[in-house]
Amino acid sequence: MLAALTACGSLAGAAVGAPERGASSELPQVLLSRQLMARARLQVGDTVKLATSPSGEGAASFRVAGVYEPTPDPMRFSQPSLEARLHLPDLLSLTAPASARDSLATVSAINVSLVDPSTADAFAREVSARLPGTLARSTSAPNDRTSTFIVIERFHLAVAIVTLLGSALFLLALMVMLVDERRETVGTLRLIGLTRGRILRQVLVEGMLIASVGTVFGLLFAFAAQGAFNRFFQWRYDTALVFVRITPGVIVQSVLMAVPLGIAASLIASWTFLRRQPLALLRR
Amino acid sequence: MAGTALKHARRAVRLAWVSSIRQPARTGLGILGIAAVGALLFDMLLLSRGLVISFRDMLERANFDVRIFATDSPVAGPPIPDAARLSSAVSRLPEVEAVVPVTFREAELAPADGSPPEAVPHVDSRGAAVEHPRALDVIGVDAGAEPLWTLLEGRDPLPGESGAPVVVNQALAAAHRLTPGSSIAVRGRCGSGAIAPPPAPFTVVGVAEFPFDDGEAETMAARRTDLEALCRGHASGGIDMLLVRSRARDGGDAAAAAIRASSPGLHVMTNDELVERFNRVEFSYFRQISFVLATVTLFFGFLLIAVLLTASVNQRLGEIAALRAVGLSRARVIAGVFAESAIMIGIGAVIAIPVGFALSIWLDDILRRLPGIPANVHFFVFEPRVLLLYTGLLAASALGAAVYPMRIVARLPIAATLRREVVG
Repeated sequence: MLAALTACGSLAGAAVGAPERGASSELPQVLLSRQLMARARLQVGDTVKLATSPSGEGAASFRVAGVYEPTPDPMRFSQPSLEARLHLPDLLSLTAPASARDSLATVSAINVSLVDPSTADAFAREVSARLPGTLARSTSAPNDRTSTFIVIERFHLAVAIVTLLGSALFLLALMVMLVDERRETVGTLRLIGLTRGRILRQVLVEGMLIASVGTVFGLLFAFAAQGAFNRFFQWRYDTALVFVRITPGVIVQSVLMAVPLGIAASLIASWTFLRRQPLALLRR
Repeated sequence: MAGTALKHARRAVRLAWVSSIRQPARTGLGILGIAAVGALLFDMLLLSRGLVISFRDMLERANFDVRIFATDSPVAGPPIPDAARLSSAVSRLPEVEAVVPVTFREAELAPADGSPPEAVPHVDSRGAAVEHPRALDVIGVDAGAEPLWTLLEGRDPLPGESGAPVVVNQALAAAHRLTPGSSIAVRGRCGSGAIAPPPAPFTVVGVAEFPFDDGEAETMAARRTDLEALCRGHASGGIDMLLVRSRARDGGDAAAAAIRASSPGLHVMTNDELVERFNRVEFSYFRQISFVLATVTLFFGFLLIAVLLTASVNQRLGEIAALRAVGLSRARVIAGVFAESAIMIGIGAVIAIPVGFALSIWLDDILRRLPGIPANVHFFVFEPRVLLLYTGLLAASALGAAVYPMRIVARLPIAATLRREVVG
């Protein structure tokens, strides 16, 4: 069983001593994160010293058995992943006070897999009740981590709404201009007998076509931008986290917003002209 | 020379104004669109340094300018070794006016009879389900030390007072209907251990506002000596942070330098260094997102204005050719196009500022619900630099958006255009 010893920057800095190359293979083994290996300029096979105090007191030697890519944590993406993984007995002997080392082994957390995962919440409540001082939580239960992303999602939605509002106004302005350009054409069509409804249907089909093409183009641009955003932020924070992901739900949401907006803009712009008499449309 | 230039500029603006008001729908909608985009840009500029400014302001209002930790992580770290001796040594430095040792613990409220607390589900302001027992943040300070909170009701714990007096925050008081005089039982969360400690009794003597609480935090402050009862039989830890106030004549930097010289190996941070660290690590996401959104908004706005101006110019090619034909110079017509862009963006930008302020209140309210963010911190904070940057960026947008339409006007073949207008 491996236990993770998360070093928050300083601990790694204080506790990972200078490597010794070619040291004994009888030392206990440790896995270090890629970021820590790069920061401390280590290689597999090096011997390092780990300690829990900033002064290095009580340091123990370990051999670096390998390097791993830590699972990206969206809650801590801005902090470098300077982590080490030890065997549990090694971690306990490093961290437990001398007086307690002979006592029962203690751990920070126990992961439980249930036969019936749907009973997770009930199981967690029962464990909490039976073991005062412990905290049992279903892994799918909303907590502070979920709350953070709920808030971020609301923020992004608010920004998207404002952007959409701005675009809608611009779109309406453009449609007003484009319809004005076709004022004479519309006036002529009305004069030769086409009804308002007939012209409006024409405008509707045009609006749908333009809105659909625009939406497709927008989605293609979004897919391209998605890659650029992810590459930038993954480089910036040295993480494998995916920051932007266009899901089918997002596509549906975008289409449901963009297409009706485009159609509405063309209909509203056109109606202001179709309301007028044909001769008024032809007059300059 | 200047007078001539001014005259030309006035003419260009007049021409642009006349063109704009001839098409009130297009102009009005364009201005409103710029106002919406401009408001978003303004808010992203407020966000770029808002959190840092607000956090710095909050630290300075706390009236301590140096903090000492065991490691360089102010958020979570081990206790300071030999803190009591260290605190005494630091307080004797001539640059130091006051030192307050602080201990942080986690606990939970428990029924006085020791039975497990009942989990009470409710939905917090973020919409997430929360179950009790929830963690209680406990702050331990020396009796008689300067309080780190603002008392709203009751009084502070007194040195030597019996009954383990505590001060609670409003959220904790409201959730459990506590008032000065109420008795509570608190069970410490003492880290690894096979046996949960029994609950310890405390007496509420005051209700206060804690500056670093987030909106959902339940906090209590007790005397450090009383905190030892929370984790009886377990290692109760030590002092997690030393708050230091420097003497006014020396300042925080001098005090920090003196502390580092007297006790190397400690992690000493002035307020500025703490703000810089948070800016670099914890707040970096907001800085990055504000930069990205500001860039996207600016590009988006530029694109939309350019399209609007180009379409407008293309629609009026005949009119422009006629103006050129009757004697208006190319420069004057080009200046008119630029002035039109400037008028639309200028009016839109002015409208965008109050809209942006209103929008920032809404966005700030959303972001302040993030867990762990102190309720007194704001994400969107105004500083004069924002206005300058905003004006500069929109001015550059106005110029950039007008480049292509100006080019169309500059290269317009007058005769061919007029012929096309007549024949077409």
